[in-house]
Amino acid sequence: MIALIRSEWLKLRTVRSNITMACFAVILPLAITLLTTVFIDVYSVDDATVSVVLLGSGSLSVLLFGIIGALAITQEYSQGTIRLTLAANPHRIRAYVAKGIVLAILSGGLAAFIILVGNTAGVAILDSRGAVGKLSNGDMGQAYLALIAIGILVSLLGMAIGTLTRNPPSAVTVLVLWPLLFEALIGGLLSVAFSESIFKWLPFQTGLNALRLEDYELDFGRWGSVGYFGLWILTVSMFALVRFKRRDA
Amino acid sequence: MITVEGLTKKYGSTIAVDSLSFTVKPGRVTGFLGPNGSGKSTTMRCMIGLDRVHSGIALFDGKPYQELKKPLHEVGTLLDAGNAHSGRTARNHLRWLAMSNGVSSKRVDEVLELVGLMDVAKKRVGQFSLGMKQRLGLAAVLLGDPKVVILDEPANGLDPEGIRWIREMLKHLASQGRSVLVSSHLLSEMALMADDLIVIGKGRLITECTVPDFVNQYAKKWVVVKSPQLTSLVSLAQEQGMHVSMGSNLAEFHGAEAAMIGELAAKNNVVLHELSTQTGSLEDAFLEVTADAVQYHGHAETQSKGVAS
Ligand SMILES: Nc1ncnc2c1ncn2[C@@H]1O[C@H](COP(=O)(O)OP(=O)(O)OP(=O)(O)O)[C@@H](O)[C@H]1O
Ligand SMILES: [Mg+2]
Repeated sequence: MIALIRSEWLKLRTVRSNITMACFAVILPLAITLLTTVFIDVYSVDDATVSVVLLGSGSLSVLLFGIIGALAITQEYSQGTIRLTLAANPHRIRAYVAKGIVLAILSGGLAAFIILVGNTAGVAILDSRGAVGKLSNGDMGQAYLALIAIGILVSLLGMAIGTLTRNPPSAVTVLVLWPLLFEALIGGLLSVAFSESIFKWLPFQTGLNALRLEDYELDFGRWGSVGYFGLWILTVSMFALVRFKRRDA
Repeated sequence: MITVEGLTKKYGSTIAVDSLSFTVKPGRVTGFLGPNGSGKSTTMRCMIGLDRVHSGIALFDGKPYQELKKPLHEVGTLLDAGNAHSGRTARNHLRWLAMSNGVSSKRVDEVLELVGLMDVAKKRVGQFSLGMKQRLGLAAVLLGDPKVVILDEPANGLDPEGIRWIREMLKHLASQGRSVLVSSHLLSEMALMADDLIVIGKGRLITECTVPDFVNQYAKKWVVVKSPQLTSLVSLAQEQGMHVSMGSNLAEFHGAEAAMIGELAAKNNVVLHELSTQTGSLEDAFLEVTADAVQYHGHAETQSKGVAS
């Protein structure tokens, strides 16, 4: 398994588009956080400023992790390498899991890096600009951990969707439209028919809610929301894995 | 040793491979022949578990591919010009593959050298020509030093030097006791390198035998005669119902044995300058055998179009 993981890691990092995407996923939230802390009116700053900006911009990175996950598998189909992958390792579940582990480590690691650098730099900048009062708060740590968790989950979701569609553009489209369009649309329609409470069952909405700084008003709480989102991804992944095992490569 | 037993693969209602059975022996190059769409590539994909079969099994020294621990050490496969990612360099392509089966990166450089791609090892595969991709695919085959080698049209896109190189390579691999299964439409090449043949048509086995047996059994034979009294010999033969075609200074006797012609000549005091048996090529034999199994025919353009004044 270690050999497979190392092989998958080499595969991931030797494709330029993955590197570009990963850089983008890191630079985007850091740039937003830095620009905000440099230009914000220091007197309006409070203990949540840095983390709110970082968590908000971090959810863009989460989507990019998902795209990396989708491309990691769909490119194998579009480039034909899936045949070599499975010839080198005919145990398909293991092949899937190895790729998943590599994606999880990558997105979890990048998310942690973003948080560490973004938070440290953001606080330091506000400090140097003479912001008064505390720049961190008690909910921050949990929310940051949730960002890492959601990042991992979305990259695995991307991989699962990619396994099902096998085609880079359609996998990315499904992944991006799911939170941005489908959930809004379906939620909107269902809430008319039923009630507002339907929103809490929408996986992406709930998952991204876990990134709020304060989780007091969340239906499932922070980790309940992460868990609910995780269950969805587990289901989609299981479905993908079954298809992956059965279909011709 | 490869044993394929009752392999059947359907795509929807198309039966691509139909209860196909054959063996590939160690120490020999086995040619895998069949017209376009006869199911060669599909068979190879099914053998290594890429395509799911409906029934049947392929065994490598008694084991199905799925049970091989580090398959690259047992079976080397080349399908579709290597299946490499166009954005990766040649070396990185081989490195990830090597890593998955615990092959050292020293071996990666060895095989790159072996296939003549060392100078372009750091180039992206997207910039490679078809022949270079084939060579890269071959490097991947050799990576694990496998006992069984399966190649789908490896000569496709190679230059004459490359074609000869691959022929020598496959013969060499077989001489070391490996089992080599290779498909190709280049029948003159096949005649030079293959020991055994598996011929399929419409997914079914047509014949499985050695190359000489195949040619002997299926290729046309005729007798060539040179003689100063050619016309009288020809009319004698035609009286006996033989089919003869005349050239300027020689005649070809179809459906006859050399001995018959020799005796006929001796009996009638005809002087012979040459009496030899000719056999058709592997190509002739192949076309003869697969005539009924060809699904996609080409047609000669017999009427010129658009010549109206
Ligand atoms: N993925 C697929 N889906 C549907 N049909 C397929 C698929 N792959 C192959 N076939 C069909 O299976 C049959 C065998 O195809 P295959 O590619 O194995 O032939 P082949 O002997 O390799 O031909 P060629 O000499 O042209 O390479 C063909 O009728 C083809 O249309
Ligand atoms: Mg083919």
